[in-house]
Amino acid sequence: MSAHAPAPAAKTRTAPARPPSGFPLGFYRYRNYVVFAATSLFMMLGCAMLLDALHALGQGEAAWQAFLARMARPYYVATSTVVLLFTLYFVFRFAWVGRKIAAGRIGPIPRPPVPMAITGILPMGGFVTLWLLLLLILGGFWL
Amino acid sequence: MDLHKVKFEVLRFRPEQDQEPVFQSYEVDCMDDWVVLDALNAIKDDIDPTLSHRWSCRMGVCGSCGMLVNGRPVLTCAAFVRDYPDVIRVEPLSNFPIVRDLVVELDGFVQKIQSVKPWIIRRIEKDLSEGEYRQSAEQLDEYKQFSMCINCALCYAACPVLANEPEFVGPAAIALAHRYNLDSRDEGNAERFPVLDSHDGVYACSFANECSQVCPKHVDPAMAIQQAKLTDFLEWAHILPKKSFT
Repeated sequence: MSAHAPAPAAKTRTAPARPPSGFPLGFYRYRNYVVFAATSLFMMLGCAMLLDALHALGQGEAAWQAFLARMARPYYVATSTVVLLFTLYFVFRFAWVGRKIAAGRIGPIPRPPVPMAITGILPMGGFVTLWLLLLLILGGFWL
Repeated sequence: MDLHKVKFEVLRFRPEQDQEPVFQSYEVDCMDDWVVLDALNAIKDDIDPTLSHRWSCRMGVCGSCGMLVNGRPVLTCAAFVRDYPDVIRVEPLSNFPIVRDLVVELDGFVQKIQSVKPWIIRRIEKDLSEGEYRQSAEQLDEYKQFSMCINCALCYAACPVLANEPEFVGPAAIALAHRYNLDSRDEGNAERFPVLDSHDGVYACSFANECSQVCPKHVDPAMAIQQAKLTDFLEWAHILPKKSFT
């Protein structure tokens, strides 16, 4: 059951399905989507940096100081900035699309009086706020 | 009324002579209030009777005349020529095999729609003498938006996930399944669960949101899919009951 499946043999020969016009990078909305998908790579890099930080923390004061010194190097700062930008882009786009999740009734649970505010904006706003707090902590502002 | 000349570049595919689709240009004298469908009909009537395209109602209801106009999926009966530059490119819907010219193969699309059982499923049908199934305005409001779909397939043509994963059930079918799952008269969400919860079901959607951008009836299939994901998860986790009688 494929949308791209050719017609059954008894039918006329068909031309293959073509991808959407402007996909993946020619049209700005597809471009935004591809960048959103690409954020996973940078967030993976961010997770690796986080694991590195936790590992250094577990190795004692000297290891932690060495980690901080490493993080202060220009290419680490540049990498962190790129990771931060892609993470922020992921968070805001996820919050933008994710707001759609909450607007409807979920099974027998009655729809809240202001569904978008209560079940959409508040959790997503909290998610964004927590993420930013985590980034601030990891960025060393509270250390 | 004033006429102005517009150049149409139409993708042609005649299986008996074309190895692959090719563009053909037509100069059409268009009136100010013409839509792209009017121009295609003018080409077929007066210039080239071999051109094939689908259309029926001419008023955005039947969903037959969906095509790509300058790269974007639209209903050609609702796309005014005056809103486009003097060169207009018309192509068949993307993500579908081309049968002929602007006509695409919709068998896969129809199978996907059928797979989600888009009809009211009841454990026991009431006898006609017992009267109709009553529904309040609030209950109707729960699903009304998703019931406005006209199956025009524009959402499938715009979906980047379908471009990469042709087996994906797709926006219109999931929106339709969600519409019936939300219907207070329906008892069949367990029947639809295996399709929505499958590998090619709701979780194949990766939030492109393009389906909602092109939907001519403002159904917002992306919203339906995200809500269906959450409902599917809650049913899978046995937090919500699956209405079932099989």
